[in-house]
Amino acid sequence: MNEAALILEQVRMPMLGSPHRLDVDLRIGAGEFVAVVGPSRSGKSLIVELAAGLVSPEAGRVILLGHDWAVDVNDEPSPVRLRLGAVLQQPGLMSNMTLFNNVALPLRYHRASMSERDRESAVMAQLERLRLVPMRDRFPAELNQGEVRRGAIARALMLAPDVLLLDDPVAGLDAEMVLTLKAYVEERQADQPLTVVAALRSFSPFIEGADRLVLLRDGRVEADGTRDALAATVAPALRRYVG
Amino acid sequence: MIEWVGRKTIAGYTYLAALATLSSQAFLDLILPTRQGRRESLQVLVRQILFTGVDALPVTTVIALLLGIIIVTQAGTQLPRLGAGGLVGSIIVVTVVRELGPLLTAFIVVGRSGAAIATELGNMSVTREVVALRLMGIPLSRFVIMPRMVGMVLSMICLTLYFDVVAVLGGYLVANAHLTIPFYAFLEGVIKALSSTDVALTALKGLLFGSAVAAVCCHHGLAVRSSFTEVPQQTTRAMINSFVLCLLIDVVVTVPLYL
Repeated sequence: MNEAALILEQVRMPMLGSPHRLDVDLRIGAGEFVAVVGPSRSGKSLIVELAAGLVSPEAGRVILLGHDWAVDVNDEPSPVRLRLGAVLQQPGLMSNMTLFNNVALPLRYHRASMSERDRESAVMAQLERLRLVPMRDRFPAELNQGEVRRGAIARALMLAPDVLLLDDPVAGLDAEMVLTLKAYVEERQADQPLTVVAALRSFSPFIEGADRLVLLRDGRVEADGTRDALAATVAPALRRYVG
Repeated sequence: MIEWVGRKTIAGYTYLAALATLSSQAFLDLILPTRQGRRESLQVLVRQILFTGVDALPVTTVIALLLGIIIVTQAGTQLPRLGAGGLVGSIIVVTVVRELGPLLTAFIVVGRSGAAIATELGNMSVTREVVALRLMGIPLSRFVIMPRMVGMVLSMICLTLYFDVVAVLGGYLVANAHLTIPFYAFLEGVIKALSSTDVALTALKGLLFGSAVAAVCCHHGLAVRSSFTEVPQQTTRAMINSFVLCLLIDVVVTVPLYL
């Protein structure tokens, strides 16, 4: 296997609202597109939050791009954050900023030397690709769920991250938009080595091109492999998650 | 009972320690600026000054004028009976510049901006905007807390001095119209009573009150966890604690000077 972008090494921790505990051991290679699928409360979002360094495991280690989140001792952001793009279930667009300013925020903060014109063209290209240009001057409260999510994905990709974590990326998106998003992520992967980890609660065309599917249930990995391999091996009750 | 007192004391110390940590981190972010996000933080700071300082001018003007009028009306009618009619000018200095000016300004700022900061940060916590900033590698302290604290401190100092001037002016209006004290006599009384320590003290109180209110309101705003119903609860707590802390600071600063 190629170099690992994300390692969850014997990670164990309780899951909120579930009697089960998360107990996973995962290794995701650089450039891989991995879909974590499974029913609600199976631990998918928790894996995304662990990978993003937002929560610490009770036991085990989480290593992203060679950085062990456990060594973050203060609030000062680790440089690895700038190599990570993440969109959680609640995308968290800044409510007092327009969509354009939201997407431009990472560039404005971390690329201060970039000219305003270059910044604007980079943001507009991103918005155009995700069909958000007409919404550029709207505030998050004026957008629908799918537009907010696409806006957050655009923002997460602004700094050209090495790893993209997506929690429920297709929530609120219509069928056509799911395909647009899928094409865009694949395009970005073709442009640069981008590891994608997407958590979904049901099968979606978005993960048709995934290299691996990790099937999760009650905090444990039920199956891990290519979609075809999983379709042939998993229990009938779980087959619907594989598509 | 002893256990209850012990628990409350520990909770009080923990609370003050959290406020001190928040303030010192903001101070460090202010004096150790990085190139990253300097412009963005400055924009937040300017917005905070506009909201806390400039937008508060009309209400501060009205309250200060009315206070000056009330104090001079009372002093001007009562002091001559005691044969101390010439002390009208010094009464306004003693009451407004030393005490009521900084305190009432702090109360205005708590009611307007402190509540707004606690509510805004509370809503940001619930809608996961705070987490989103963390994910983007944008430090909360540098981008959210420091500009709000600095903006509030600067605004509080300026508003306090402005309040004092307007209250004295309000006092003069009454002194001139009702008590027929000429402007120069009133001004002479004020200047005679006013020392540089008074001005320094009023500015110091503005600085301390501003820091305390900003730290308390940011702390309570960020203490909101998962529900919008927590926002008004934390906002109320922030306002009450700000009032209490301002009064405590006032006592700590003022009492030693007059002992």
